[in-house]
Amino acid sequence: MSKKVLILILAVVVVVALAAVYFTRTSVPEVATDATGFKIGIVTGTVSQNEDEYRGAEAAIAKYPDLIKHVTYPDNFMQEQETYIAQITGLAADPEVKAIIVNQAVPGTIAAVRRVRETRPEMIFIAGLPHEDPPLLEREVEVTLIPNQPERGKTIPQLAKKMGATALLHYSFPRHMSYAQLAERRDLMRAECEELGMEFVDVNAPDPMGEGGIPASQQFILEDVPRQVAKYGKDIALFSTNCAMQEPLIAAALQTGAIFPEQCCPSPTHGYPGALALEITDEIKGNFPAIMEAIDDKIVEAGRAGRFATWPVATGFLHSIGGVEVAKLALEGKLDLNDIDAVSEVISEVAETEIKMARLSDEGNFYMYIVDSHIFGE
Amino acid sequence: MNEPKIAPQTLSEKTVKLKEGKNLELILGELSVPLFFTALCLLGIIAAGLNPRFLVNEIITRLARNSFLVLSLIIPVIAGLGLNFGIVIGAMSGQAALIIITHLEIGGLPGFFLAALISVPFSLIAGYLTGLVLNRAKGREMVTGYILGFFANGVYQLIFLVLVGTLIPMSNPKMMLSSGIGLRNTMDLIAVNKALDNALLSSLRLGPFKIPWATFLAIGLLCLFTAYFTKTKLGQQMRAVGQDMHIAAVSGINVDRIRLIAIMISTVLGAWGQLIYLQNIGTFNTYNSHEQVGMFSIAAILIGGASISKATIWNALIGVLLFHTLFVVSPLAGQRILGIPQVGEYFRSFLAYGVIAVALALHAWQTKKKAASRDKE
Repeated sequence: MSKKVLILILAVVVVVALAAVYFTRTSVPEVATDATGFKIGIVTGTVSQNEDEYRGAEAAIAKYPDLIKHVTYPDNFMQEQETYIAQITGLAADPEVKAIIVNQAVPGTIAAVRRVRETRPEMIFIAGLPHEDPPLLEREVEVTLIPNQPERGKTIPQLAKKMGATALLHYSFPRHMSYAQLAERRDLMRAECEELGMEFVDVNAPDPMGEGGIPASQQFILEDVPRQVAKYGKDIALFSTNCAMQEPLIAAALQTGAIFPEQCCPSPTHGYPGALALEITDEIKGNFPAIMEAIDDKIVEAGRAGRFATWPVATGFLHSIGGVEVAKLALEGKLDLNDIDAVSEVISEVAETEIKMARLSDEGNFYMYIVDSHIFGE
Repeated sequence: MNEPKIAPQTLSEKTVKLKEGKNLELILGELSVPLFFTALCLLGIIAAGLNPRFLVNEIITRLARNSFLVLSLIIPVIAGLGLNFGIVIGAMSGQAALIIITHLEIGGLPGFFLAALISVPFSLIAGYLTGLVLNRAKGREMVTGYILGFFANGVYQLIFLVLVGTLIPMSNPKMMLSSGIGLRNTMDLIAVNKALDNALLSSLRLGPFKIPWATFLAIGLLCLFTAYFTKTKLGQQMRAVGQDMHIAAVSGINVDRIRLIAIMISTVLGAWGQLIYLQNIGTFNTYNSHEQVGMFSIAAILIGGASISKATIWNALIGVLLFHTLFVVSPLAGQRILGIPQVGEYFRSFLAYGVIAVALALHAWQTKKKAASRDKE
């Protein structure tokens, strides 16, 4: 028995070794240096959590094939911070890499940036959708790109009102409410609802990073929405602060007829394709106007016109591809990162729609932006 | 002094006999986990094609960061409590101490030592409570400890997210949410950043590598302490309890008390381990950093060849080395072998978690084998 196991282990080792040697020999050629003499590193999540960031990086690579080095951070980034930091310092170990885009900037970014700066003080860092505390982060990185969360505390209730809502439901949990901007946004939402004469309902959902994991929180959403709709009527607008909850939330809204004004990270590809069973064909892949149209058709078909909305751009996608664009222009000396109007112009161009950008404080370039929503079926 | 020794002696004689009777197969069996991982690491290094300087640097950092935490697991194993998932609770105590010194704005080495001091009462109390629960769950300590970690996480969130600013008076706009209740989700530890790492001979480099001498000194001291502790009366009593609770009780050892002490020591060491870890990282997630420690420390010591009933200092150190080497090389190895960035991540999680399962399975297989050969005798 033991001999068999030992032989099995040895066999596996040999096979893996041979495979490794074989593949490394024929593996991807080293990324050639661009004529301009620099490379840009980009760190995104894998497609398991949120696809937009990864696809954005792929689109950037397609645009500038020899310029970009792409790595991913752990799916389990909350627990595997050391690996995340090592991925970033690993990128910075290549002297040709002159800028790094981190999207999303999950916890550990500040530590990683400081570590890189010990040896590479000149490195340009661009953070997309940071999780760490904004006043701390803005002093560490060159540029941050994030939807304007406090401002959305006003625009989301306004949009919900426009769509006919009489109440606004806010799903979150204590860990998210420890994010300064998310807590602030909730308070602003409550105040704005009061002003607009809408009822604000604050519901605590299970934390997807807690013991039950993502399934428990999704299950909760599917079970809770019908309860709330029964209580407050169909004209309740649903909102959740967590990415994993968007798909069940849209599905439940579709079923019960509730209103869904915006995702946590507004994007046509966030939650909608899964909840609507939308087939992303090769023709509409990466083509956001076409995806918007496809969603529109599905929503109208389901008889829920005017009840669903989102931004016409994918924020995660935009941070990746826009971040690369901004970094490239800055490295070429064509863009001043401190100039908010210039950065806003570059990002608007990439997004193909108008973007309103604001700065968090004068301590750094923490750029927060808003895009006008599109209501499906109108 | 003499009486507690009776039980362990008879037992250890038996194991010696067992070893002599067995051949190379058993020794190979015992080392199979670390050997398997060494092979994997070597393959990973070849496949990843990393800059050797980056790799060595990264491994030195990881060794300094994690060894103390992993070493804190040894004493409960000796006392028969299995792998202490409760170090998560120790880590929370360490973080509470760090929050206090950050609020008081005491930095540098004095700040670090003050945090170490403050963490002691917290972790002693937390360890005592953990021990009380574990004594009521004999034989199921690991799963109980694991779930206790989740429970403690809830208490921790309650304290720092709700009670701070309401029941506990505190006002510090830099650390607290704008509403004045609860702490922000990131703590900046710039004041104690690398306080211990750079405390001794910080300019003395080993070739191109920067070595955190003081941290390694602390780890060395803990190794010496652990080795010495197992030889003291208390250590021997723990060994006796670990080998057979009933025999130990019959020989007049207060089993519950010994188990309680083992967990308390481990919790305090866990708190210090977390302090060392965080002073190296330089920031921490107020509500999540502790979640990282239990699972990965335990995985590391298992990979080093420890089991739930036997763990040595070498298991811990070799485990940290192998586990973290694998973590450094596997994403790049996956990426280079297959050429797609995200496959690197999948390859890494497949390896990292797969190997933990393999390590546990190999141990179960060995235990079964040993039991079988004991039955034959």
